[in-house]
Amino acid sequence: MSTIIEIQGLTKKYGGLTALNDLTLTIEEGSVFGFIGPNGAGKTTTMRILTTLLKPTGGKAWVAGHSVADDPRGVRRAIGYMPDFFGVYDDMKVWEYLDFFAACYDVPKSARIGMIDDLLTLVDLNHKKEAYVETLSRGMKQRLCLARTLAHDPQVLILDEPASGLDPRARIEIRELLRELKNMGKTIFFSSHILSEVADICTEIAILEAGNLIAHGDMEEMKKQLRAHRLIQVKLLGDLGPLQELLLQHEAVQGITPPGEADLPHDVVQFDFGGNDETLSNLLAQLIAQGIRVVSFHEETGDLEDVFLQVTQGIVN
Amino acid sequence: MQNMTELTTEQPLKKKRFRNLRENPVTVKELRSRMRGRRAFVVLTIYLLVMGAFITLVYAAYASASSGPFGPDPREVGKVVFGCVVGVQVFLVIFVGPAFTSGTITGEKERQTYDLLRTTLLSAESFVTGKLLSALSYVLLLVLAAIPLQSIAFLLGGVVLEELIISQLVIFTAALTFALWGLFCSSAMRSTLGASVMTFAGALFVTIGTPMLVGLFAAILAPFIATLGTSFTRTMEIALQYILIFLAATNLPATLIVSEVFLLQEDAIFYFTGSAGTSRFWLPTPWPIFILLYLLLAWVLYWLSVRNVRKIANR
Repeated sequence: MSTIIEIQGLTKKYGGLTALNDLTLTIEEGSVFGFIGPNGAGKTTTMRILTTLLKPTGGKAWVAGHSVADDPRGVRRAIGYMPDFFGVYDDMKVWEYLDFFAACYDVPKSARIGMIDDLLTLVDLNHKKEAYVETLSRGMKQRLCLARTLAHDPQVLILDEPASGLDPRARIEIRELLRELKNMGKTIFFSSHILSEVADICTEIAILEAGNLIAHGDMEEMKKQLRAHRLIQVKLLGDLGPLQELLLQHEAVQGITPPGEADLPHDVVQFDFGGNDETLSNLLAQLIAQGIRVVSFHEETGDLEDVFLQVTQGIVN
Repeated sequence: MQNMTELTTEQPLKKKRFRNLRENPVTVKELRSRMRGRRAFVVLTIYLLVMGAFITLVYAAYASASSGPFGPDPREVGKVVFGCVVGVQVFLVIFVGPAFTSGTITGEKERQTYDLLRTTLLSAESFVTGKLLSALSYVLLLVLAAIPLQSIAFLLGGVVLEELIISQLVIFTAALTFALWGLFCSSAMRSTLGASVMTFAGALFVTIGTPMLVGLFAAILAPFIATLGTSFTRTMEIALQYILIFLAATNLPATLIVSEVFLLQEDAIFYFTGSAGTSRFWLPTPWPIFILLYLLLAWVLYWLSVRNVRKIANR
């Protein structure tokens, strides 16, 4: 895989305020890159610089090999951009909207008709082709805007909070659409502060806080790195006493959360485990051998929220 | 989905420019929106009805005021009708044209569609040209729609073809420049309100403010010139006449009025022979100067608007 977005020492200052501080980042072609951080972290600033809408105070950036400062046209040809807040032309029909933007991307007239149908099928708006944009729901407008970003078949999609303000169903639809685009081989660089939606589809993440890059890398790797020990949950039938006794004596067990605490059900025990897979397997065998009636035994993988809270701990405060 | 990267084409510049004018997506979109539904046709109909009623009223007023035994002189009425239609056209190009353009770019900013357009391959030139053509075409439609009403003046007599041609040339040029002034304000400001205030302030200053300033200076300078007496040389007199014609050429109503006067009194289309004492010299009529001056201004405003649109924001 080759690098498709390269950012080197990108800085943006507004007077005395540093919105983005010396950001260095690379994004591989074909990846789904989640850019997460709270509001005001610098996500939109980064995206506006990458889309040639904002001049950086310092640093450089390239998209698909084109410099955002020296070759904005080359960058625009390579990207499809969806801002966090965007408007639509209310007095246009859905197909006219796509036709207009396709024309703005120099797509020849003869190619536009088929392309519009393809795009509307992709975002499931074919039935709304002749409808006025103003009659669409917010979720539909969001999908239409996503279709617009694809009008010139760009290599990279830069999506700023693509699911913000949507109801759960519309959010799921957008997520599915992003998956579909990922399968089409698009590189997706998107920002969000809703961590669950990033966790589901990202291959890489970067966490930004107060203009600084706090963490960056493959998502699964980051989770592993950030969690020094593993959380194991065991569900039993019958008395939990023997299990807790056994766990307390085990050298790899670093702590136990009894049932009822930390939102655990009454028949589940959770423990911190510092050993490897073999030790864990031996522990399970020991439980079975001692006649403890295990219903389930699994590792809690933790979610992105845990990762986010861990890496931003202290910085936010 | 087919590979669109192959579909976006790099065409020769000249061919592309021509195509841009013919198929400019912004013009197509704006005209489609503007002419869609009944609004545009209703506005045009009401405009023509009001113009027609106004001309009928002028005719009736003139006829009732006439004391001649054979009613009003049709040539006189023709001139009045012609003057009224030109007056309405002047109002249209000074105030209605810029009103269309002053909100056209700020509207995109307020509607949050500006960034979407800025990240497409649409060039700043195409964007500005598209906005200009769409706004101008509707204003020109209104101006052209009034020409049949002007033709009534020909039926009545008293108006020559040169008057019509000169007046329409001047008005079309002014329409272009005032529309570009509105567009420039729209490209420079963030809100439509701000752009509209700036546009109308500028239009009012050029139309009413400059003649007032000239009048004020004339009033201040008149006693001083009077004291010069015989020392006020012919050269200074000639220079003063040139300055006055140039000043008239900066103002649309003044250009139309002075050019009309020179056409009727001196039979001058481009120039006439003026005099200062025994000296005789050529004096241009203001309308060619007006056209050159306003075309130059239009080009500067276009260039500034393109530059504003092309500029990558710092904030």
